[in-house]
Amino acid sequence: MTAAALPEGAEEIPFVGYNHYVGPLYRLPDRDGFHRFCFRVDERHMNCAGAVHGGMLMSLADIAMSRAARAGTDAQNSSTVSLSCDFVAPGKLGEIIEAKVRVTRRARTTVFLSADIISDDRVLLVASGIWKIA
Amino acid sequence: MIPAGYRETKLADPFEIYLGPIHETGEKPNRRFAFLIDDRHVNRRKVMHGGMMMTYADATLGALAADLSDGMIAVTLNMQSQFLAPAPLGKIIEVKPELTRRTRSMLFIRGDFTVGSEIVMTASSVWKLLGA
Repeated sequence: MTAAALPEGAEEIPFVGYNHYVGPLYRLPDRDGFHRFCFRVDERHMNCAGAVHGGMLMSLADIAMSRAARAGTDAQNSSTVSLSCDFVAPGKLGEIIEAKVRVTRRARTTVFLSADIISDDRVLLVASGIWKIA
Repeated sequence: MIPAGYRETKLADPFEIYLGPIHETGEKPNRRFAFLIDDRHVNRRKVMHGGMMMTYADATLGALAADLSDGMIAVTLNMQSQFLAPAPLGKIIEVKPELTRRTRSMLFIRGDFTVGSEIVMTASSVWKLLGA
C-alpha cells in the first residue's frame, strides 16, 4: 500500500526518549484555534486486530495536549494530571492521524484541554485532560 | 531487575512487542504485571512518559479483559488515567488489574500502578465484548 502524504506545513519535532522511539511526530500550522500535530501509522503502531494500538492514540493525545498546554507561555515543563480518552473508531495502517487540540482554559499553573484525534474527517478518539505547567 | 518469580508475558500486538517486554506472575485471571522502565520509555526529564504509562495500562488492563472475555474480543471504549507521581528511569512499575464490574457486554477494569510502595498512576477503563 502507499502511505498517505503528510499535510502541508508539517514539521518534524526533534524528540528524545519515548517520543522519538514511537515517532516521527510532526507539528502542523495552527488552524481555527486548534493546535495540530500528526504522525503516519506504520507497522510498529498496530495491534493484532489490524487497528492502531489504543496506546499509540493516547500517546499522540498526550504529546499533543502537553505541548499545547504550554504553547505561548514561558513554561518549560508540562505534566499530565489526568486524561480521559473515548475510543470512537479504529485507526488504520498507512493513515495520517492528526490531533486537533483546543485549550479550554489556561489558569496560572493548570490548563484544561480537549482534543479530537482524527484521520481525514473521521474521529478516532476524543480526549479531555488537565495539565500542570511550570 | 524484574523480581524473581516473574515470567515474560506473551504479547501479540506489534506496538506492545516494540515497547516491551512486560513480565507477569500468577495465573489468569489473577495476573500481576511488572515493567522495567528503560531509555525508550522516558521523557527528557528521565521519567516514564505519560503515553507509555497509558500504553502499559491498556496492555495490562486489556490482558485482564482478554482473560475474562470467554473467547470474545474485548475493545477499549474509554480509559481514564490520573498521574499521581513520576515513575523514574530504571524502576519497575507494577499493577494487578481488578475487575470492578461485569455486565453482559461490558467489563469495567481498574488498576493502581505502583513503583515500590508508591502509587504513581491510577487507571480505570471500560471494555466492550464484541459480539456479546
